[in-house]
Amino acid sequence: MKMSKSICKLIILFLIIHISVISFAGVNELSDYYKTIRCLVCEGQSIQESDTEFAINLKEQIQKKYSSGISIEEINQELIKIYGEEISFKPPKNHILLWGAPLVVLIIIFIFIRNKIKFFKRV
Amino acid sequence: MKGHLLLPVVGLVVLVVCVIFYFNQSTNKNNSRDEVSSLIFETPDFYNNKLINENTLGEFYVVNFFASWCKPCLLEHPLLMEMKKKGVKIIGINFRDDEENFKEWINEHGNPFEYILRDDGTIAYEMGLIGVPETFFIINKMTQKKIQGPLFYEDVEKYL
Repeated sequence: MKMSKSICKLIILFLIIHISVISFAGVNELSDYYKTIRCLVCEGQSIQESDTEFAINLKEQIQKKYSSGISIEEINQELIKIYGEEISFKPPKNHILLWGAPLVVLIIIFIFIRNKIKFFKRV
Repeated sequence: MKGHLLLPVVGLVVLVVCVIFYFNQSTNKNNSRDEVSSLIFETPDFYNNKLINENTLGEFYVVNFFASWCKPCLLEHPLLMEMKKKGVKIIGINFRDDEENFKEWINEHGNPFEYILRDDGTIAYEMGLIGVPETFFIINKMTQKKIQGPLFYEDVEKYL
């Protein structure tokens, strides 16, 4: 009898620790996410650092959506749809042109210099 | 054009055209924020507890976010009163405000709104609000113009 009681207590203790670890992980995930969202009123700050009404409201709305089971990825997509890409500090990785353009410019410069050298060699 | 210049110049022109085309496309992606939030038509009016009658609103109306704690809201208030006199239908959305303060504010300064909805921030989020006051000019449920900050005479001249 005593044995089963202590097993019960152990299970309850384990559940409490488990639940609090899960909720703490959720809080951590959210506060990490807040750091990637730009406060549009005080640009340069994230909503995690800002105390403006805009930042407070955005945090509340995100928290509500997160608690209702919507994933961070889905929330992020919705935020970008509403506020545009400027809301996020993390630019999407599909900006091929943004990353590729400097490389293309370098290649063009290289071709230009090579042609110029060839031209002067001929002269 | 000399042969040794042709390839780099053509390359640059193609690159510039690509950049212009790409940025034009990416700015067009965000037009969904122009739609008025459906929550406006699902939230009852504060005074008569009824939903907004879309038929009486007409095609053109104005949505104004305000709060009793917002000092710049007082700057634009006389203009809103003037617009109401000229028959412009304005939906007032009271953003994250204390109910008593809000009622006192309306009693003191007057009510320029056809409907007043109280918002905990959800409508504001859906409309992409940055701060109060903010005003949306709506035609056929689509935002035609958005003004962040208080309205000035030049902004609403044609409605007065």
